Amino acid sequence: MNSKKEKRIGIFICHCGKNIAGGLNIESLVESSRQIQGVVYVIDNKFSCSEDGQVAIQKAIQNQKLDRVIIAACDPALHLMTFQRCGKKAGIEPGFVDLIDIRKWTMHGSPHRVDPEQAFEKSKKLIELAVKRMRLKRLIPLVEVKAEQSVLVIGGGVAGLEAGLDLADKGYRVYIVERLPTIGGKMALLYKVFPTNDCAPCILAPKTAYANIHPNINLLTNSEVKSVEGYIGNFDIKVIQNPRYIDAKMCTGCGECIEKCPSRVIDNVYSAGMGERKAIYIPYDQAIPKKAIIDAEHCLYLRSGACSLCEKVCPTDAIDFEQRTRTIKLKVGAIIVATGFDEYNPTEKSEYGYGRYDNVITQFQLARLLDIDGPTKGKLLRPNDGREPKSIVMIQCVGSRDENTNAYCSNICCMYALKHAQMIREMVLPDTEIYICYIDMRTTGKGFEEYYRKTRELGINFIRGRPSDIIEETDTRNLILKVEDPDIGRLLKIETDLVVLSCATIPSSGTRQLSQILQINLDENGFYKEVHPKLRPVETNVRGIYICGAAQGPKDIPDSIVQARAAASFLDKELREAKIKLPEYIVKAIKLN
Amino acid sequence: MKQDNSQSEPIRISKLDPKFKSEVMKHKDAQGLNACFACGTCTAGCPVHEIFPEYDPRKLAKMVKLGMRKEVLSIPYIWYCVTCHNCEQRCPQNVKFFNILNVLKNMAAKEGYAPSPWVEQTQQIMQTGIVFPKDEELAKKRESFFLPVLKSDCKKAKKLIELAGLDKIKAKKQS
Repeated sequence: MNSKKEKRIGIFICHCGKNIAGGLNIESLVESSRQIQGVVYVIDNKFSCSEDGQVAIQKAIQNQKLDRVIIAACDPALHLMTFQRCGKKAGIEPGFVDLIDIRKWTMHGSPHRVDPEQAFEKSKKLIELAVKRMRLKRLIPLVEVKAEQSVLVIGGGVAGLEAGLDLADKGYRVYIVERLPTIGGKMALLYKVFPTNDCAPCILAPKTAYANIHPNINLLTNSEVKSVEGYIGNFDIKVIQNPRYIDAKMCTGCGECIEKCPSRVIDNVYSAGMGERKAIYIPYDQAIPKKAIIDAEHCLYLRSGACSLCEKVCPTDAIDFEQRTRTIKLKVGAIIVATGFDEYNPTEKSEYGYGRYDNVITQFQLARLLDIDGPTKGKLLRPNDGREPKSIVMIQCVGSRDENTNAYCSNICCMYALKHAQMIREMVLPDTEIYICYIDMRTTGKGFEEYYRKTRELGINFIRGRPSDIIEETDTRNLILKVEDPDIGRLLKIETDLVVLSCATIPSSGTRQLSQILQINLDENGFYKEVHPKLRPVETNVRGIYICGAAQGPKDIPDSIVQARAAASFLDKELREAKIKLPEYIVKAIKLN
Repeated sequence: MKQDNSQSEPIRISKLDPKFKSEVMKHKDAQGLNACFACGTCTAGCPVHEIFPEYDPRKLAKMVKLGMRKEVLSIPYIWYCVTCHNCEQRCPQNVKFFNILNVLKNMAAKEGYAPSPWVEQTQQIMQTGIVFPKDEELAKKRESFFLPVLKSDCKKAKKLIELAGLDKIKAKKQS
């Protein structure tokens, strides 16, 4: 195409029914667009994306001999590809079809909506700029390059494992990078999972165990992604693997070293601060890999050269104090980010006294206490005096649905409160009274409403109100809270042995740093941001990087699995040809590296 | 306290004033009202509610939203608030019920529902410049604490009250 020849640009302005036409004067916009230099044809369309609309665009391209097309309509994330396909049918390269969003100025419910005059001015300006840009555009040739048939999965929780296993079964080489010494994520620590109440380790073990032996999967535990460079098809990854101080090949997980280790530490990760472990430890019985690890911060030998009892008792000589951090370089075609969530720390909500009162705990801590493989072997005792609680109050929405902390609903807290209430009533302390103070009970998943009914049938008390604060009685260490019960229109004063806070689900620590390494966007709450909340839920702003699980937003296990499969499926679509077409300048940049 | 005698009958929505809510929310301080999701944290933390269960922030907010204009403005307990700000501090939706209550009190006063002690106190300030009645006992007490003798300079206070239009507020008629 002769670049000196003036381009023949056509503009199509969409009414989007009343969404755009109702908010600005389309006729004037058509008229003003005709005046822009380089524009040879302007017409408005009731629905540009409809079949009729697309036919009209294609006809105009042929009749008016257009070589470039600008559609002023909706969000490019929504319909750019629709119009690029439409243009291609009429012989225009996708790069020469542009979609600009003028609907955001006019549509009801849009956060950018302005009055009709402003909407007109803003749209006019956007069209002018789009024309300027289009006049300067040159065709960027696409070059076909090899696409690596390997995938990096960041996060070894249920979402990451599901995506990794799916891709490994499809034939990809999968590297699962997990920050902690064991895979399984939060789910492995939940003991039971709703709505089936089956044992979390039992239904997770087939995945963790399979990932451990899958010929296409490499597990990199105790590791973090340090840097990511390159593009889809060819990402260069550096992973830092922290030392275990154990030769994982030699360790049999027998536990003799743990018995002898003299250094005791509060376990904040696997026991959520409710129990102890040794400086050398295996996270839990079903841990994968089931290998010991030394916590360098608390190991007497690594700190001061004293001890080394573990080295003496290890029957396979697996202890290796000389291990150092090592950097692992990987080359992968695409990345799946499944870094999951953390539980909100309610210390900030000082009115509930978490951190000050021993007998105020969080739901995650309760899950650890109820776990038969947990710090108390499934016994539910008050933290301060080890007595069985006669009554328990659960407070919902702590740090969720709260404009001062996290405005969003955390999605899973109603269900896990119901789950814990059922477990305590049925399995642990059947005579303990349980009160759940809630704002709204949200049980919308499959089988969830039945689960709520079952909890009611077990005689759990539901109070539709949120306590304002908690006071601790100094001598008994019981907790006193007041809550208004609108059902009887009276204030209730509850003296209770144990309070459990259902805390918000927040992005896992390190999410922000990882987003910077990957150059992917975060949403206003700090979760990874998808391209389109409805239509493109697993893609990010970087092609080749996909998200799934609670890292994208608060999510339960069924939803995490669905999203993990979606991410794996989308990734497979992009890489399955083992080659990929990229713009020439990107390919040159890759080769320069 | 006189109970609302219509408690047993259903409230006829058609008899209520749906504009009342927007009238209240016209005030900048009261704009959070619509965000209220009635979690009741305000009521649970209210020290007044504990003694006078009739004073219930969660219910009052709902009554305003429904448009129960006459009921809200005429009930005496909107004046019971002790301004501890607990409701405002703990509210997860930043409704700022304390501010809404101030708007309601202003509206109530303008419509002649101000309680008589409040009006008497205003008059007291206009006349003497201080909140409590000045008497010999008070003077003696002040003397024992070596405090200076109180002067009755009420000109500024009077002017302020007049500027604010507080002098025109009439007390609620005793029924």
